[in-house]
Amino acid sequence: MLEVDHLVTGYGGVPVLQDVSLTLSAGEIVGLLGANNAGKTTLINSLSGMYAPMSGRIRFEGQDVTAMTPKQRVEIGIIQVPEGRLVFPEMSVRENLLLGGINARARTHRPRQMDHVLELFPRLQERLGQKAGTLSGGEQQMLAIGRALMAEAKLLMLDEPSLGLSPLFVQYIFGIIDRLHAEGLSILLIEQNLNLTLRHAQRCYVLERGKVAVEGASDVVKDDPRTRRAYLGL
Amino acid sequence: MRQEFYKTLMSPVWLVILVLAAVLPPLLPSYYLHIVILSLVYVALASAWNIVGGMAGQISLAHSLFIGTGAMLSTALLLKLGVNMWLGLVISAVISGAMGAMIAWIDFRFQLGHLSFVLITLAFAEMGTVIVEGWDFLGGASGLLLPQDKGDFLAFQFGGGIGAFWVMLVLAIASILINVAILNAPLGYYLRTIRDNENAARAIGVNILRYKVAAMVISAMLSSVIGTAYVRYLTFADPYLLVSPIIIIEIVLFATVGGLGRAYGPAFGALLLVPLGEILRGKLGGTLPGLHYFIYGVVVIAVILMSPRGLLPLFEKWFSRARPKAATTK
Repeated sequence: MLEVDHLVTGYGGVPVLQDVSLTLSAGEIVGLLGANNAGKTTLINSLSGMYAPMSGRIRFEGQDVTAMTPKQRVEIGIIQVPEGRLVFPEMSVRENLLLGGINARARTHRPRQMDHVLELFPRLQERLGQKAGTLSGGEQQMLAIGRALMAEAKLLMLDEPSLGLSPLFVQYIFGIIDRLHAEGLSILLIEQNLNLTLRHAQRCYVLERGKVAVEGASDVVKDDPRTRRAYLGL
Repeated sequence: MRQEFYKTLMSPVWLVILVLAAVLPPLLPSYYLHIVILSLVYVALASAWNIVGGMAGQISLAHSLFIGTGAMLSTALLLKLGVNMWLGLVISAVISGAMGAMIAWIDFRFQLGHLSFVLITLAFAEMGTVIVEGWDFLGGASGLLLPQDKGDFLAFQFGGGIGAFWVMLVLAIASILINVAILNAPLGYYLRTIRDNENAARAIGVNILRYKVAAMVISAMLSSVIGTAYVRYLTFADPYLLVSPIIIIEIVLFATVGGLGRAYGPAFGALLLVPLGEILRGKLGGTLPGLHYFIYGVVVIAVILMSPRGLLPLFEKWFSRARPKAATTK
């Protein structure tokens, strides 16, 4: 479904991602691990079109998307849940959700998707009229995921969904991720939380200073000594 | 959401305003009529600015450029080339819109943050001042004097006083209604996503460039038209009033004090502060030099400390507390 070939992305001419290749098949849940500064967020932002790559190719469902704008990528179903949630604080929960589905593909299905999202997150149902900025961190994470689902994601890219959440909420969010996966959604999961990701993802890539250090099935990655090394930066 | 706009359009409040507008102005002494007209000018300008500054959260200081183009260019076209001022109004508005689109594009292309955007637009405003001062066609530093207003409608003359009042009233209401329309249309929501978080707006697939340009063009053209009408009322195209950063600072102040990003906020701020400033100057200007500025400044600081989001939200809160039923039926 997603193929990334020798991707190089950087800021101001300095490459951050150096020659990263990865694949993700339909219905798969893939983890992207790495310490701070490994390039995880740069990679996800390249996939969503926020940054133009310096070289390399990104293909989605057989289509070359490398030169597409973020808007065009949303139209074909590549949806990002940004790091730090980034809900629209001054707008209500309902407005946030409806705005998630503004792309041409999802627009007409919004009422149906809304029901689906509210069934996944009953908590949001109670908060529909409330300003998003007044929600707790966990509720904002639900809203951010809900907003992405409103866009009728084919590939959902989650950037550190556990960031700043209590352990209970982290468990809840990962339960939701498992459920979305069971419903057939393809998921790219970015996390710092090693054990949690290894438990939920089928395959994992470990990034180290902009390069893929380890890749493979989760239990293989787990036992690979290079994984620990990449994390500790030794 | 569109019903909201039609509801506003059909509101009986307009009828009340219309009756007041027909009855009151002839009764007012000319000094007070002048204050009313001035207030309406700033209601219109602050509301026009609100589309960019309030809804999209982009504090543009370049609007003096659009107001100045509307005022100076249309005047110069009439005096130097004999172009009818109605046509001059259209030409100036189109040029202002183009300049607005260019500034929005620069903002998008170079991903200016909020602060850089403010500084860049200030630089554009300053450039405008320098160009007008140095270019004799636009009147240079001494400005241009329009022919006397004889009330010839086809020549963009409205007969001063009462006529100017009606023109400004129409522009002020149009400006406010455009605000209401945009806020209730998809454009208004997209602009607010850009204000709240530009990256998140991109992540949900908002076409940032298109809506930034749209907001800026609408706002710029509106400001330019108001500028043309304003200069016709003033008769004297004074570059130090119309193309100076002072006028835009005032607009930002009125909009902020009234309530940024709300349909009626900037209008509310202008209606309060313009008469306050004028009356303070009229009553105290002769006693101690600068005293009226001092009091004006204290009032503004007090308002901002009391209600950082503007006076309108504060009044709404008071109102809903005093009449809880009215608030819930809304």
